[in-house]
Amino acid sequence: MSRSSPVPRVVPAVLGSPALRLAGWRLLTAVPILLGVSILMFILLNLIPGSAAVQLLGPEATPQQIAQLEEEMGLNRPPVVRYVDWLSHAVRGDLGRSLVSRQPIADVLPARLAVTGELVGLAFVISLVVAIPLALLAARRPNRLLDRVSMVVSTAGLSVANYVLALLLVLLFAVKLSWFPAIGYVPLSESVSGNLHAMALPAFAMAFPLLCFYTRFLRSDLVDQMQGQDYVMTARAKGLGPWQVLLRHAFRNSSFGLITIVGLNISGLIGATVIIESIFSLPGIGQYLLQGILTRDYIVVQAIVLVFAIITVLANLMADVLYAVLDPRIRYGNH
Amino acid sequence: MAITEAATPSVLMTDEGPPVPSRAWLRRLRIAAPAVLIVLIFVACFVLPLVAPIAKPTGGDILNSLQPAFTPGHLLGTDDNGNDILARILYGGRTSLIVALTVNLLGLVIGGGLGALAAQAGGIVDGVIMRLFDVLIAIPSLALIVAVSLSLGPGLRNTILTLAFFSVPAFARISRAEALRLREQPFMVAAKLSGTSTGRILVRHLAPNIGPALMTFAMLGMGIVMVIEGALSFLGLGIRPPAPSWGNMIFQGQLSLSGTPMLVVWPSVMLFLTVVGFNQFGEALRARWSGP
Repeated sequence: MSRSSPVPRVVPAVLGSPALRLAGWRLLTAVPILLGVSILMFILLNLIPGSAAVQLLGPEATPQQIAQLEEEMGLNRPPVVRYVDWLSHAVRGDLGRSLVSRQPIADVLPARLAVTGELVGLAFVISLVVAIPLALLAARRPNRLLDRVSMVVSTAGLSVANYVLALLLVLLFAVKLSWFPAIGYVPLSESVSGNLHAMALPAFAMAFPLLCFYTRFLRSDLVDQMQGQDYVMTARAKGLGPWQVLLRHAFRNSSFGLITIVGLNISGLIGATVIIESIFSLPGIGQYLLQGILTRDYIVVQAIVLVFAIITVLANLMADVLYAVLDPRIRYGNH
Repeated sequence: MAITEAATPSVLMTDEGPPVPSRAWLRRLRIAAPAVLIVLIFVACFVLPLVAPIAKPTGGDILNSLQPAFTPGHLLGTDDNGNDILARILYGGRTSLIVALTVNLLGLVIGGGLGALAAQAGGIVDGVIMRLFDVLIAIPSLALIVAVSLSLGPGLRNTILTLAFFSVPAFARISRAEALRLREQPFMVAAKLSGTSTGRILVRHLAPNIGPALMTFAMLGMGIVMVIEGALSFLGLGIRPPAPSWGNMIFQGQLSLSGTPMLVVWPSVMLFLTVVGFNQFGEALRARWSGP
């Protein structure tokens, strides 16, 4: 009896970890949200006038042609039947075939995700690589010239729409100076330098608002830490130099807040790819989504929105869990 | 601690901005400068076309197209349809400002009300309202807005309704967080114990206290909505040409970016200035309401 199962001794210890429990709870609550997202998107797409068949055949089509194509696509079935059909396949990992191109979504999605992933990744790298040193330098001497200038620029930068910035970058660096291509995409497998060359402008257009936001956030958090915290005073009293206190103590503490914000930004940034990828003709997931909506290809839209929503949920979850792992006060707090 | 310092949701995040200057005139300048900028933009868009000899924004003569700046009668020149650019910028600003104002008002009243109601009622009401908004927030905003906009169709009223889908949940989250924080305050407990009705508590006790936080967010929201309205018009949805809006002017100008870049630059500059004005005004209000 006592040897009936050796598992429970280990399992509670692992499952009992607060970070894991938090993750499990959040994953559970994500299920109804994902279901809600897919239902709402399906209803919205059905409310848009004109089906995929109408969009494909164009304005010249006769009603008979439209009816025939709708029957081939299965669009003549009632919406509830179509949704349940889609859902029953989706939960088994089958995202279906595009109504327009007839390609299986699962074949198209990885390549498109890679493009968007690279774009978002580059944007994060650029913004953090610039923002962290800039914020550290500004916080080292608050209210001095560098601090003032970086605050004014980043405040202004937060008010620039990303599509406006993208167009101005194209105007300056592609049209006037011809340093970068205005549109187009070079696969990473074809040429690494060509790929980075094509990605530079879109990645920077996405990175700039983030860069401004991170610089401001990190700078004000660092200044707060340096001015008011007891541990900073202790570190100083021990005889650490100002840079050491800033880097080893204050920055470490401020990085928690930064991690949370980066996690929260991921979903917004993926949303921004819809417009940036359209401007630069990048074959990513955002452009695919827009095409899908415009051609009423509900299979494509459902798949992408689901992927978007899952990434959003996972990103927020990762930020929370990471935060809990890093900060013992949260780990053992009342969550 | 004042009200706006509360742990507000991600939208406001803890970015405090530069410290509040100690000198009184500097503090006043931080509120006055953006306020003056906003007033100037409003006057330019709504009053100037009535009193100054500004051309019509539409129905231009195609033979008169692409005139350079400082052509007599066309201070900023004309676009590729022969319309006066200055007139289109001012009338386009009207559209953009009307959309942003209405959308934020809708968000403030409906979202703010629902959020406060959810916090006050708790239980099932809270759960249903907030889960619904969780769903709306989990959809990438542009995908949601594009889909709603296509199902409603183009035009001013539908653009406003579409963007409200985006602003209402955001306001509701902030309002709920604020209301939850206030729920245990002595004056709220006293009101409840003395038998005040939920409606009266919402209007008389809660609204004045969560108002400042919501107003601050509305100022930042003005900028956000103007940018998203631009994005929508930029994608060919939203406000349809020939009616001007800053967004669709940028979109139309983008088609001939290399030849006539000023068609993109002018509306972009106006959009930027307006967003800066509202953002800075919001920041200043926040600093004032949470500062010493």
